[in-house]
Amino acid sequence: MATPVIEVENVFRIYETEAGFTPALRGVSLTVERGEFLAIMGPSGSGKSTLMNILGCLDSPTTGTYRLEGLEVSSLSDDDLAVIRATRLGFVFQSFNLLPRTSVLRNVMLPLIYSDVPVAEREPRAFKALRSVDLPEELYEHSSNELSGGQMQRVAIARALVNDPSLILADEPTGNLDSATGEMVMKTFRHMQRQGKTIVLITHGAEVAAWADRIVYIRDGRLMSAEEERAFEARLAEREATLQRGAIA
Amino acid sequence: MRIRDLLYETFTAIRANRVRSLLTILGIVIGIAAVITMTALIDGIKTSLVGQLGLNQSRLVYISCYPGTRQVSMDDLKQLELNVPDYEFVSAVSYSSGKVTNGTKSLDTAQLVGCDENYFTAVGSKLTSGRLLTAGECTGGAMSVVIDQQVVDKLWGSSDTDVVGQSIRINNDSYTVVGVIEASSFNGQMLYLPYPTLTTRVSGVASIDQIVGYAREDADMSTIADKTKTFLVKYYGISKEDQDYSVSVTTMKSIVDELDTTMASFQLLMTTVAGVSLVVGGIGIMNMMLTNVTERIREIGLRKALGARSSDITRQFLLESVTLCIVGGIFGILLGYGGAWALAGLASGVAGIGQIVPVISPTAVGMATGICVVIGMIFGYGPARRAAKLDPVESLRYQ
Repeated sequence: MATPVIEVENVFRIYETEAGFTPALRGVSLTVERGEFLAIMGPSGSGKSTLMNILGCLDSPTTGTYRLEGLEVSSLSDDDLAVIRATRLGFVFQSFNLLPRTSVLRNVMLPLIYSDVPVAEREPRAFKALRSVDLPEELYEHSSNELSGGQMQRVAIARALVNDPSLILADEPTGNLDSATGEMVMKTFRHMQRQGKTIVLITHGAEVAAWADRIVYIRDGRLMSAEEERAFEARLAEREATLQRGAIA
Repeated sequence: MRIRDLLYETFTAIRANRVRSLLTILGIVIGIAAVITMTALIDGIKTSLVGQLGLNQSRLVYISCYPGTRQVSMDDLKQLELNVPDYEFVSAVSYSSGKVTNGTKSLDTAQLVGCDENYFTAVGSKLTSGRLLTAGECTGGAMSVVIDQQVVDKLWGSSDTDVVGQSIRINNDSYTVVGVIEASSFNGQMLYLPYPTLTTRVSGVASIDQIVGYAREDADMSTIADKTKTFLVKYYGISKEDQDYSVSVTTMKSIVDELDTTMASFQLLMTTVAGVSLVVGGIGIMNMMLTNVTERIREIGLRKALGARSSDITRQFLLESVTLCIVGGIFGILLGYGGAWALAGLASGVAGIGQIVPVISPTAVGMATGICVVIGMIFGYGPARRAAKLDPVESLRYQ
């Protein structure tokens, strides 16, 4: 069997704050196979952003191991992590994070300057990435801030694709879009997956998560299966009801 | 990250903040302009002086001597020639002034020089027409005169007139113009008469106001000056206290040295101005770069997420500040030479030392550029490191 793209084992991430130690992740284990489309769902403060940052090699676990395509990355230096980000990862952000007053093409080519891709190869690769997200060609030379939200996010997806990464990480990619545009963006992700990309999506919306093959839930820094999550929600609802009764009485 | 990419990022960033960048580099512009104006002007003045003084004059020694007890005599000059053999010759000069006229126009206080035939060799006079005074005229006290071009201009109103052979009057006597020479760079409107003629006909006093010496070709100018002074002090028995104002020996070398001393104070002033404005300019650059980093925190976070290493970020911001400084330097160099030309025009008019041509020296341009690079590095390093140290996660979340 092929090496999984993501193998996370018993990862803890503890932040040191003035108030003491705050655990954001408490023993997370997760495996994502090649070609999988996974959604991680959880409310804000659940630790899903922390998990995302660790998966994206932007942050390192306090303890535990994280192997990306079999490569142990939890103990790498900052510079080595930068190389991993440049060559193996693609990010899609909620707020797009495109460079303003810069052409679509330049934005898509941005990761290539950090992975040392020869200048001659850059434009063809950017064109290929932009074509695969279905962005009309007449927009390539437009400045990024002239585009609509949906177009911007598709440019951002093209940027995430351009270095042909092993893993695409998307953090609330539809959070700033209306539902119709959001659906178009999710279709783009689906399309990516069909082309063999591994995608991890983070969201708090069930409709968005529904596009994925598999959903894991995160609460208080722990991952849960769908059944556990349902049980948890049931307990929450019950407590809410009790509290309300108490308030009325 | 390739150099080409770095340059692209730098120029895009500077272009995005054109106005702010231009205002920020003003300090650098002024500082560099001051340095360039200074060096261009000083080099220009030196070049024009050295050029005008000519090679001949580098062998020229002016000796002024006031023994106090008696007048300097022709015999004293012979003794000097004998005792300081480094001289090819020494010649006596007497100065006076008088009213000069050619019948139509006149000069009320023209400078009159009484000299011998050797004098012209020593000071390096350039003949434009006619001939110089001959040895016979000089010993015999002939009524011949050599005039400079400025006298021709004043008396005849045009420099094209052929005045050789014409007669002019100095005070009450008539003289024949035998030759015309170029006007000296320092003082024009001079008329040169045989020494005996001047002392008997014009001034009436057989005084030697100055001795002009002409060194042998291989003589060392500093040595000859020292020897001359030592000899004269001993010869006239001048006391130690008096020797500095009683005897003065000036060579071209000592004039150039003196010039250097004068220039040094000017140079110090300009260097201070330049230094202060460069530091202020550097702080301005630093301030702008800090603002830049703060404004672009999200962009920095994004670049890091896309794979930029800390060193890529450092280089990007460092190159930005260095480029700003270099652009400031280029403007400063242009402005500096403009200023040098303007000042040169002014100085030439005032000092009457002929046209000063500011010198564009590669050393000065190289030095100015070097200073800019160093300032850009020094003041850009802090902000650049600050950008590089930003945490990508926090930066991406920064609003």
